[in-house]
Amino acid sequence: MSRFFATGSDSESEESSSADEITPKATGTTFNKQQALLLSDDEEDTKRVVRSAKDKRFEELTNIIKTIRNAMKIRDMSKCLEEFEQLCRAFLKSKTIMDKEGVPQFYVRLLADLEDYLNQLWEDKEGKKKMNKNNAKALSTLRQKIRKYNKDFETEITSYKENPEQSAEEEEKDDAGSASSSESDDDDDDEGVTAKSLLKKKPQEEEKKAPEASKFLKGAADEESESEDDEESEDWGSDSVDSGSESEDNEGAAASLAEVFLKKAQDGDKQTDRKKDDRRKKHKKKERLEEEADEEGDGEEGGWEKVKGGVPLVKEKPKMFAKGTEINSAVVIKKLSEILQARGKKGTDRAAQIELFHALAAISNENNLGEGILVKIKFNIVSSLYDYNPNLAAFMKPEMWKKCLECIDELLDILFNNNNIFIGENIAEDSENLAISDQPFRVRGCILTLVERMDEEFTKVMQNTDPHSQEYVDNLKDEGRVCGIIDRLLQYLESKGSTEEVCRVFLRRIMHTYYKFDYKAHRRSLGLQGETKSEQDQSESEGEDSAVIMDRLCKFIYAKDRTDRIRTCAILCHIYHHALHSRWFQARDLMLMSHLQDNIQHADPPVQILYNRTMVQLGICAFRQGMIKDAHNALLDIQSSGRAKELLGQGLLMRNMQERNAEQEKIEKRRQVPFHMHINLELLECVYLVSAMLLEIPYMAAHEFDARRRMISKQFHHQLRVGERQPLLGPPESMREHVVAASKAMKMGDWKTCHSFIINEKMNSKVWDLFPEAQRVQEMLVRKIQEESLRTYLFTYSSVYDSISMKTLSEMFELDLPTVHSIISKMIINEELMASLDQPTQTVVMHRTEPKSLQNMALQLAEKLGGLVENNERVFDLKQGVYGGYFNRDQKGGYQQKQGYQRAPDQRGGYQQRQGYQRDHKGGYQQKQNYQRGGYRSQNQSSY
Amino acid sequence: GLIRFNDLYRLYEFENGKTQLFNSWGVVLKIIKHYQEEGQGSEVVQGVLLGLVVEDRLEITNCFPFPQHTEDDVDFDEVQYQMEMMRSLRHVNIDHLHVGWYQSTYYGSFVSRALLDSQFSYQHAIEESVVLIYDPIKTAQGSLCLKAYRLTPKLMEICKEKDFSPETLKKACVGYEHMLEEVPIVIKNSHLINVLLLDLQEKSMVADKHELLNLSSSNHLEKSLQLLMDRVDGMSQEIVKYNSYCRNLSKQQQQKQQYLQRRQQENTQRQSRGEPPLPEEDINKMFKPPQAPPRMDTLLIAGQVNNYCQNIKAFTSQNLGKLFMAEALQGHSS
Repeated sequence: MSRFFATGSDSESEESSSADEITPKATGTTFNKQQALLLSDDEEDTKRVVRSAKDKRFEELTNIIKTIRNAMKIRDMSKCLEEFEQLCRAFLKSKTIMDKEGVPQFYVRLLADLEDYLNQLWEDKEGKKKMNKNNAKALSTLRQKIRKYNKDFETEITSYKENPEQSAEEEEKDDAGSASSSESDDDDDDEGVTAKSLLKKKPQEEEKKAPEASKFLKGAADEESESEDDEESEDWGSDSVDSGSESEDNEGAAASLAEVFLKKAQDGDKQTDRKKDDRRKKHKKKERLEEEADEEGDGEEGGWEKVKGGVPLVKEKPKMFAKGTEINSAVVIKKLSEILQARGKKGTDRAAQIELFHALAAISNENNLGEGILVKIKFNIVSSLYDYNPNLAAFMKPEMWKKCLECIDELLDILFNNNNIFIGENIAEDSENLAISDQPFRVRGCILTLVERMDEEFTKVMQNTDPHSQEYVDNLKDEGRVCGIIDRLLQYLESKGSTEEVCRVFLRRIMHTYYKFDYKAHRRSLGLQGETKSEQDQSESEGEDSAVIMDRLCKFIYAKDRTDRIRTCAILCHIYHHALHSRWFQARDLMLMSHLQDNIQHADPPVQILYNRTMVQLGICAFRQGMIKDAHNALLDIQSSGRAKELLGQGLLMRNMQERNAEQEKIEKRRQVPFHMHINLELLECVYLVSAMLLEIPYMAAHEFDARRRMISKQFHHQLRVGERQPLLGPPESMREHVVAASKAMKMGDWKTCHSFIINEKMNSKVWDLFPEAQRVQEMLVRKIQEESLRTYLFTYSSVYDSISMKTLSEMFELDLPTVHSIISKMIINEELMASLDQPTQTVVMHRTEPKSLQNMALQLAEKLGGLVENNERVFDLKQGVYGGYFNRDQKGGYQQKQGYQRAPDQRGGYQQRQGYQRDHKGGYQQKQNYQRGGYRSQNQSSY
Repeated sequence: GLIRFNDLYRLYEFENGKTQLFNSWGVVLKIIKHYQEEGQGSEVVQGVLLGLVVEDRLEITNCFPFPQHTEDDVDFDEVQYQMEMMRSLRHVNIDHLHVGWYQSTYYGSFVSRALLDSQFSYQHAIEESVVLIYDPIKTAQGSLCLKAYRLTPKLMEICKEKDFSPETLKKACVGYEHMLEEVPIVIKNSHLINVLLLDLQEKSMVADKHELLNLSSSNHLEKSLQLLMDRVDGMSQEIVKYNSYCRNLSKQQQQKQQYLQRRQQENTQRQSRGEPPLPEEDINKMFKPPQAPPRMDTLLIAGQVNNYCQNIKAFTSQNLGKLFMAEALQGHSS
């Protein structure tokens, strides 16, 4: 049909192709036959669509039966069983038809044959032995099944067995496979030809559809030709005959055929579906051929009509509007809703739907139907683009994504250009005003949701791109467009949207800003270097500082937002941004004021990930500022778990499948932060380990003999132990090894070695250069290393000295005298160092009141004995049931004395403070700051 | 070497009179030599004692060491070696009867499960057998420390039953004090050796004896404290284990009681309704008592702790004496 409709040369070659198929085979046959064949082809075309439920079911059954018979022939019992089960199911499905029509003969025949066959096999002991295990098993199951099953059909089967011939004949007519028709009885070759021609037909059919599609693309302009199509289809029968005769002449054109076919092969998704259709149709055609042969002419006519009705919606689309229909908004809206109805239905071609919308948009544009409709259509285009992927996990194809961006851009253009369009979710479908009138347009739909979804899609695209490929970079370039769209939306909503909407779009904007380091602002703050740069740079640097933007957006959200989540996210992003730009105090204060640490565990995982990211950024910021303790405390939670990667949403940890099934994994994958937002994990770990080193090494030196010594950082100790376990100590390679080596040097008070391990080229390239202010950070680090090494040195070796000159110390550690003085004074005040300063000579005089190792040991023993007694008493307690008299006396008397001897009350206090510090890790970040040390030493002193 | 001879001689004089176990100097010297040659630090050397039972005495007249075997010769057969050794000794007409074994100790740590097990098997086979514990460190400080132990009959009973549950131990009234009994040692020499020793004593210089007056005590004390602490920790753990066991037990008892009560109530109800009462046998099945932790380890630890304490006490009192002496001397000289 449509081959006539397509452009001239194309149709020509098609004709020849159909001719070509037949001619070589049918050279010997008469023209008449040829014609018949061609007719039958056409017949098929029409009948393809008209299929009653009965036919469909029967065809299904016959197909299965055929496979069963084949399996029987090759004695494949397992296949037989499988197919039989399928057959039963198919039969059940067609129950209603069967009730009407009665059980078909071929079905009964199969049942009877199968049973006979199985019994025969069963009897054949020899053959059974030869069967493999699977087959034998299948045989016995199948035999039992069919016996049971056949009871329902007993009458039919007996009647069949009584008169197998007749029913077989009867079926012969029905059975598609046995022979094509009485017509072809005399020619064995014929069937093959038919089949072949049919096979070749497939591409042709596609071809036929292709023009339809293209026509549809061309849209309204083609309407005229469509109507022509209708006319032509009426002439179809005779035409085809002509073409048949023509084709013989056309043999010469065969050469061009290949190309045509090739082209068709690319024709897209629909192909497979159609192939299936074709196959089915083939059957049907043959079945019906006989009965319908006589009423061919009428049948064709009728068949054609039916085609129109039965063709799926998509194919129908090209005839969007009947010819001559006046295109007005009402019609377009009607069409739109028509298309929309197909949405979400099974079998709707989503890609085609998108095309349809585009076409509709073009039509409405052409006819100047006004922006209202255009906006409406655009909304639908975008949402159907989103719908394109059936499941949530899949990400958009690049072209879809580009289209989506464009569409949203256009939509925004329209909205900006036309002030009289009102959009909103709350506008009811029936109160829409799409037509051009005096009233402003009212369109249902939420641009914000679309943009939010687009943002999510962008994240998905980024998540699903290999971060180390060029593709990722290319995709990342779209970030600018995404930001642009969000910015425009922001402008739009600021003037039109409700506060809630504004908050949402603000958050989107914030989400795209918070993790980016503002180099321009950074450069500006460093001085006016930026001005010497090229003009482009200059113009760039004139933009608002991201800090200012963040401040404005966040503050608006703090003030106006009513959903907790948006505010939480905004706060976290704000803190992150502050921290990223080294505004430590603002960041910290905001964190403390928000009290987020208290209730973040109730938030949803993405927010928790954001919180973790923020915390980490805060810690790194503190480190850059030289707030080592704060840095350590902030990073402790993330690092101590050993799952930093997971907690920051930067990758999944390998875990057993028991802990996480596929479903969970999918969810977790969706939570991942795109690569360009990642926080460098090595940097993070290094910062943490170095802070831990700066805290832990002096602490270890100070509490060498303390039985109650607690680790400040378990992870750091773990690294130390790993270092110790190494059988051969080579020069450090990895970052961790560097830190461990540095720690060892620091333990000895050797700051120079420590320095060289922490700051060298390797470490610079791996870690320190990643900071925007690398130089400053390194200077800070050197200073910290010097100070802490000095402290460690004093702790470790003070027992060797009677007195030590501060000048010597300042030379040893290359610190200026006042610094040394202040450090030592602090140590003395904190009672970490038992010494006094001799002002005139600038020396430190050691008091040497440190307990000796034996004394330390005795203290430890005493403590342990205390624990033992306590435990023992607990046993006793249990025996007594209650606090008996003996026990009470004990508590008041001797035992308490023992406690007193163990630790003086003030000691207790000091210890508890430290405990408090430990506890703080879990709780608020706030409290962590009262981290104190010391106290314990004073106890020691007092107990001596 | 010399000083040791002197010490040995002194010990002989002190201990004379308490008869139970006769030991010949040859044996003592062999043991000392064995440790000197093979033992180091906390490593332990072991050997077999040979001798005779004469009336109510056990005379140990000879010994030979267990060879220190490396991991290379896995198929080394100790029993085979012992038998071989004893046969050889018999050929040269030396006492070849197995009467026990000896072991060196490190700061007095020897009360262990291993010792208990092997001593039990010895005593089970040969009733009279003893274990000689030699403390090389104390000996090096100037006083020979050699002690003979046997398991008490009570402990033997328990070991035979292999039942170390709290109840049995309680019933048997075995405390850590009653695990091992010390057997007094008398060291006897031939007169010739005695003469030689006396002669040597005459010849030895005063300076040789000064080691006794050594005041540097902290190292020894520290080590002892460390070991003691270790054991105290062990003890704590055992107690915690026992404690949790007790708690579990009592909790279960309570549950059982409650269940029983409920069952009784139900049964009375059933009785009033004329139904047969529910059986009460299944209760024991439902409430299996928790596994009681073996108490033998605790006992051993307690014994060991006691041992350390005795050692430390002896050591400190000795040292205190020395310190007073030194103080007096200093005051005198100044």
